[in-house]
Amino acid sequence: MSSRRDFLKTSSLIGFGLTVPTFLGRTAFAAEPAGKAGAKDTILVVVQLTGGNDGLNTVIPFADPDYAKQRPTIQIPKDQIRKIDDSIGLHPALDGMAGLLQDRALCVVQGVGYPNPSQSHFRSMDIWHAASIKEQLTEGWIGNALKQKPFGAFHVAAGNESAPLALNGAPARVPSITSIEDFQLRMSATGGKDGKAQKNLIENAAKMPTSQPSLLDFVQKTALNTYASSQRLQEVAKNYQPKEAYPQTGLATRLKLAAQLIDAGLGARIFYVSIDGFDTHANQGGVAGAHANLLTEVSGAITAFFKDLAARGQRDRVLVMTFSEFGRRAHENGSKGTDHGSGAPMLLVGGKVKPGLVGKHPALTNLEMGNLKHAIDFRQVYASVLDQWLGISSAKVLGEGFKPVDVFRS
Amino acid sequence: MAETIDPGWAWAKYEPSEQHPWDMKKAGHLFRRAAFGANLVELHQAVKDGPGATITRLLAGQPASPQYAELMQGAGRANIGHARATWIVRMLDRHPVHEKLTLFWHNHFATSFAKVNSAGFMVSQYELMHRHAFGPFGPMLQEMSKDPAMMIWLDTILSTKGQPNENYARELMELFSLGIGNYSETDIREAAKAFTGWEIRNGKWSLNKPQNDPGPKTFFGKKGNWQGEDIVRMCLEHAACPRFIARKMFRAYVSDSIEPTKELIEPLAKAYRESGLNSGKLLETILRSNLFFASLTYRSKIKSPVEFALGIVRGLEIAVDATAIATVLQTLGQDLFAPPSVKGWDGGPAWLNGQTLLFRQNLALALCSRSGQYVCSPGNGKNDNAIIREPFDLLAKHGCKSTKDRVDLLLQIFLQGDVPTEMRDRLIDYANTKPNLPVMWPRDELARHPLRALCHLVLTLPEFQLC
Repeated sequence: MSSRRDFLKTSSLIGFGLTVPTFLGRTAFAAEPAGKAGAKDTILVVVQLTGGNDGLNTVIPFADPDYAKQRPTIQIPKDQIRKIDDSIGLHPALDGMAGLLQDRALCVVQGVGYPNPSQSHFRSMDIWHAASIKEQLTEGWIGNALKQKPFGAFHVAAGNESAPLALNGAPARVPSITSIEDFQLRMSATGGKDGKAQKNLIENAAKMPTSQPSLLDFVQKTALNTYASSQRLQEVAKNYQPKEAYPQTGLATRLKLAAQLIDAGLGARIFYVSIDGFDTHANQGGVAGAHANLLTEVSGAITAFFKDLAARGQRDRVLVMTFSEFGRRAHENGSKGTDHGSGAPMLLVGGKVKPGLVGKHPALTNLEMGNLKHAIDFRQVYASVLDQWLGISSAKVLGEGFKPVDVFRS
Repeated sequence: MAETIDPGWAWAKYEPSEQHPWDMKKAGHLFRRAAFGANLVELHQAVKDGPGATITRLLAGQPASPQYAELMQGAGRANIGHARATWIVRMLDRHPVHEKLTLFWHNHFATSFAKVNSAGFMVSQYELMHRHAFGPFGPMLQEMSKDPAMMIWLDTILSTKGQPNENYARELMELFSLGIGNYSETDIREAAKAFTGWEIRNGKWSLNKPQNDPGPKTFFGKKGNWQGEDIVRMCLEHAACPRFIARKMFRAYVSDSIEPTKELIEPLAKAYRESGLNSGKLLETILRSNLFFASLTYRSKIKSPVEFALGIVRGLEIAVDATAIATVLQTLGQDLFAPPSVKGWDGGPAWLNGQTLLFRQNLALALCSRSGQYVCSPGNGKNDNAIIREPFDLLAKHGCKSTKDRVDLLLQIFLQGDVPTEMRDRLIDYANTKPNLPVMWPRDELARHPLRALCHLVLTLPEFQLC
């Protein structure tokens, strides 16, 4: 399976039309100047929770007596839960996000999934990335969205992370970046003239005509896009002063870089970040422990990011969306962890989201092979984001038939 | 593209002909794929010996240096950083084909120190893969199921009677032996019961009987009191197993872009099954084949970070600090002993994104500059002309005098001269232009510096990213 996908990934990268990233040369899709309140050019930040986040211990149906039965050792006691309403609440590690709810900036979409869910990490992740359950998945939903409108986009990557399938298929390769400092081409030049000659040669090599679409073509386009982006980024101020303290975590560091890129006014409108470690088969913990630590990192990073941007007058421009490839089994396993499941919540943070709960929590009495059933297809959430947030026709990206979910304030 | 490949032709032995001569390009291709690149002498030797003898020699390797095995046992077990560095040293040693195949298995059984948290167990797993790399797949998979690093990595040690943990059972089928679509969710749940009570005692696999589920399980439609070994055996007997491994080896050694169709894989899988899943023979069939040396296979893979970095080291004939190399590989996206997930590294085009491309180009520069953190200067500063520390020394060793000679030699070593004529002309133009170097520099440095820049430019060519 993986080999086929990788092959198709390759072929989908072959033969895309543009050679220079559109957003670098144009202003048509550029953002309003940073700091201007109510700028209409919206921004989407996708936060991927890799490994299968345990939705049932993230958004918790605490009033349901079956909850405690399903989770004999890893349950969250009622009095610790950050309540959203009389029956549903957030894991206490999501304290920051509970604060965002008070601030009317958090929307929780419950019971999200897709039909005949795969419990393979890799297949299910591909399905979420491609927004399709076809056997062969070649392009990502964001890549396809960028075909409709070639916004600037960045994958803000952790060290050991390759570009996600979700971004495949974009007209210009979406660059991955780990830091601005690292994002430059070094040369052995000592003087300006020599340096320029070297740079010319390197850039020309990326423009040499190739006889046929091939991997060489792919390398050249990646290179050309990278060199152009790199030059632009070096002009971005290196000493970004956040208006909100970011935690010292990997995800917070990546989101801080995204904030810096947004603030620099490069016109990029889509950002993609990931945090790994959610495959909690064993000892996942309850109020404290491995899963709580992950949720703390997610909540702390997203909360700081949102507050930082809000303080810069960008509150209404930004939307953060979390997802994971699946939720986990309702009943905990013998290792005080949880095995692969299906339906789970998505969290949306932004100045324009409809605050509170959307959809019903999946019933614990109506499980499917022990897993929570979904009621909302994730592509319905994508459809809202595309149609109502980015202004891109969801039908063209996802196909017909995905009714947007009501997640934005009108 | 793939429809036009005749499987009979594809896996038949490649014989040089007037149309498809054995040449420098094909020798370079063989060394890049089967090993980690070659230096000029090795390339010339291979061209002289022909493909048959060269492949035989590569597969046999030369006796590995015993001190490196000891180093792995000693320092490697004590510290994962030492284990990584020692592996790099072994890749650069006398049996690179063996290490490359071990790396293939590491990517297959992708286990990470990040969770195992024991350098000793990681090294034991490396040695398991090293021992079985060329042998039958069955014993390797049986032993791997009981390997302590694997048992920690996929939670086998936490799986108990009545409360099985599905992690290992799932990946055994999905990623290690069959591939998705060849088993059901019920098979996973039933198989998981068979691995209950498996634990580690005194650093070794052991069965904890009270925690083991001895009862009946229905697996692949057959009911029996199956134990873990039975489950592994039934996976090995499954028709999908040889296809799955053959397809994976195809992806690793043949191409990122040629589709491994059923028709193309079937003859490989059949031979693999008939050989008792002998992985060494499978690799040999691939390396000797028409398809392996065909023009559509040539440069149809993106180099992995290891291939990129070690290819430069071998070509430049420099000595490097293996710890520094192992460390920089992390930023390039290939942290040895720590793959990103149990699926291993995605590979192919996923290796290259904006950031990793820049890291690669910057690493190439550092490897060309002896002052960088990677290049060792053996001899403790002794001015021994035989020691190569940078491009200047290499070019001097091979007797290059003119600018044209130098450009051609670098292109020959790293790209077997296969770049557009216009590109070569540009490089010669560049090399003929005198850079404005500071006059106070020592004369020696004035001669050395421009060759670092020139070699770096050759290594930044898009063609050099291809394997």
